[in-house]
Amino acid sequence: MSDDADAVTDGGAVAESESAAASGGSGLASLRERDDFVVIATAAVLVVFPFLLIDVFGAIGDLTGFSIGGYSGLPSLVLIYGIVVIGFNLLLGYTGLLSFGHAAFFGSAAYSAALFSQVVPSPLLMVVVGTLVATLLAWPIGFVSIRRSGVYFAVLTLTFGQALYFYALGPGAWLTNGDNGFSDIAAHGLFFGAIPLEAPLTPLYALNSYTVIYAFTAVMMLIAVWVANRIINSPYGLIFEALGENEERVEFVGLNVFRYKLMAFIISAVFAGVGGTMFVIHEQYIHPTTGLYWIQSGDFVIMTVLGGTGSLVGPVLGAFIFEYVANVISGVSLPGIGPIGSLWRFVLGAVFVFIVWVFPRGVYGAAEDLIGLVTGGGGGDDGSEPAATDGGEAE
Amino acid sequence: MARDTTELSRRDVLKASGTAGAAGLAGLAGCTGGGGGSEYPPIGNYPVEGDEVVFGFNVPQSGSYSQEGADELRGYNLAKKHLNNGGGWVDSYENLSGNGVLGKTVASVEGDTATNPDTARQSAQRMINRDNAIMVSGGSSSAVAIAVQKLCQSEKVQFQCCLTHSNDTTGSECVRYSFREMFNAYMTGQALAPVLAEEYGENLKFYQLYADYSWGQTQQASMKKFFTEVGNWTQIDSVPTPLGTSDYSSYLSDVPSEETDVLVLNHYGLDAANSLPQAIEQGLKQDMEIVVPLYNRLMAEAAADSIEGIFGTADWSWQLSDQYSKTFTEAFRNEYNKVPSYAARLAYSQTVQYAAACQRADTFYPPEVIKQLENHQYSNAGLGAETMRKCDHQAQRDVLVVQGLPSDQQTESKLLRIVNQTSRDKLGYACDAGPAAECSLGPYGGENN
Repeated sequence: MSDDADAVTDGGAVAESESAAASGGSGLASLRERDDFVVIATAAVLVVFPFLLIDVFGAIGDLTGFSIGGYSGLPSLVLIYGIVVIGFNLLLGYTGLLSFGHAAFFGSAAYSAALFSQVVPSPLLMVVVGTLVATLLAWPIGFVSIRRSGVYFAVLTLTFGQALYFYALGPGAWLTNGDNGFSDIAAHGLFFGAIPLEAPLTPLYALNSYTVIYAFTAVMMLIAVWVANRIINSPYGLIFEALGENEERVEFVGLNVFRYKLMAFIISAVFAGVGGTMFVIHEQYIHPTTGLYWIQSGDFVIMTVLGGTGSLVGPVLGAFIFEYVANVISGVSLPGIGPIGSLWRFVLGAVFVFIVWVFPRGVYGAAEDLIGLVTGGGGGDDGSEPAATDGGEAE
Repeated sequence: MARDTTELSRRDVLKASGTAGAAGLAGLAGCTGGGGGSEYPPIGNYPVEGDEVVFGFNVPQSGSYSQEGADELRGYNLAKKHLNNGGGWVDSYENLSGNGVLGKTVASVEGDTATNPDTARQSAQRMINRDNAIMVSGGSSSAVAIAVQKLCQSEKVQFQCCLTHSNDTTGSECVRYSFREMFNAYMTGQALAPVLAEEYGENLKFYQLYADYSWGQTQQASMKKFFTEVGNWTQIDSVPTPLGTSDYSSYLSDVPSEETDVLVLNHYGLDAANSLPQAIEQGLKQDMEIVVPLYNRLMAEAAADSIEGIFGTADWSWQLSDQYSKTFTEAFRNEYNKVPSYAARLAYSQTVQYAAACQRADTFYPPEVIKQLENHQYSNAGLGAETMRKCDHQAQRDVLVVQGLPSDQQTESKLLRIVNQTSRDKLGYACDAGPAAECSLGPYGGENN
């Protein structure tokens, strides 16, 4: 039980440090008003994230005897899933469409990028190709699925995803190497292989948690946040949000609901495609179970809801908690109880139930409320919207 | 591939710079940095720092193979205990003292593969990068073993295969840093075909169902090859079923019962636990013989009422009466109060074999340890004489042909009887034939390779 508490505070710690980096002083208050505040705040978090996850958690682990430290590779993995769920949230959180087949875009991007790398071993071009394939695939799948709503939509997307999974595992094995997994990925470095992806970013021993692949992923993450932020704050994004709130009203206004929904679907697939490609560049490996299986699609849903559907970067926190529990907490050994091992899904489930029950707006929503409470109580003269609303309610 | 030869791994750089840094500091302080003294360059997680050496035990702890994983873990922990304190096989291995390995205490980290290749890779990555594991062992599902052994090759960390039966593990997907003691689908075909030809006669017609993924595909191909060659049997058809199918009735009702003499169910674990009882229920047993190429305990237990007289192969059985099998079974029984499954023996054997190879090499330096294991001949793992072949890292060993016992003769620990221990001389294939023909192991790493 102490571990789900751990995971929650961990998630909280990141959220706090993120906002601490931004709202630390009153001089930064004006920064919060900026449209691109979230991009700047994300950048700040990305700079400290590996150090926090690997070195600080590792040191705490050494002190307490619980091996809770991250490992090299985990920060990038969190960001990769973060990119996917930012896009997924545009669909689920804003437009209100629950897709259960986003692994299809993640996996097909990963496979096509992996295959493409054998022709042109360039990670940058792999991202382009993978994303393109995911986008092209999303159009027909979206075109068919969006004609139905609610559970029918979810099941249709699930069906497409599973069809691809079984194809990749069995009949398509000549292309995907089936159950043996695909590992013949030829791209190992940026700029024609000049900078190996696994190399440390700096020769400094103290900063060895920072690798080239992390920097690459972090840049992609920033671009993803920036693009998503632009979409959300644009009139187009407002229509997405309106669709999520009341589809009929949007239709009465005279807008083409189908077209907007399809666009939201395709945009979210673009993010999944970027994520899938980054995954295969990072892992140098892809398997149908990871890339295309419905459980992967379900994991995207869980990450998004866990982190908070209504916010831009909330789902990234969900991705962090999910991957942290799955890959680190699962290896922790408790005195008296023994290794958590098989119980990690139970721990994750407990965290999920707790979050959804107590904080329906996810971890991010909870953190936002907490900060709003603290800063709102302090003065309330800063112009930021959530704090002002909270202050108003308090008076 | 390119990765193995040209790329400088991040951790190689770190180790090198760390060592250089330490040497520099030592020089500045004017003191001799004791303890190090390694004669080989850093590679993977070598050199091993401190008084402990860490092994990573990566097994399925959740999902359908968790029972199997739990038994593997028992085997691993028993091996760790014996390596550190003596007992079991360690007492009879001349290189092992029961006092750790190369003077270091064996510590371990555990991980859950969830029978998912990516989860398994993440778990192995954590063991290698954070916990500095010098060796990782695990398996259950060939997909997991193949995924993790690829990772270990690129990280230059030893991988000891546990339960993996696919031809590809030491065939097209083989790597230098991984060794497999378990037999494969090809050898199953070789071991089963003569026994079945003798039991059921020649010139029969057989029909196959197979799980539609790599293992099932290679398994059915091997069965076809050897049934046709050895018993002069003819295949009517071989039908793929999706992995994880729970209802096989439509596939089973397509089996032409007048024509078919033998039905081969190339399913493993949970799939077999579903397909076999359903085949019996449909009354197919009255019209034909049923064969399940690879037994495991999960399936035998789940289908205990249906396995009577059904042939298959197994890696090992606690019922074997040689000295090493007895020693292991006894030690396992004393520790856990139950008999070991073959997965447990594989786990135990892999750990002890690796430790013994380190002792022989007198170093943890992976290329030297690998060279000790290559072409290593031994007969102290419970299966008679074995050779760990150099060309594909596949053990040349005996294979057990087993048969399910009738319900009234079954006990909790004894569900199968050993029909035949097929000698390794009748099994296997040359280095340029069968699965081995597709294998290229890749580099040792290190300076001279």
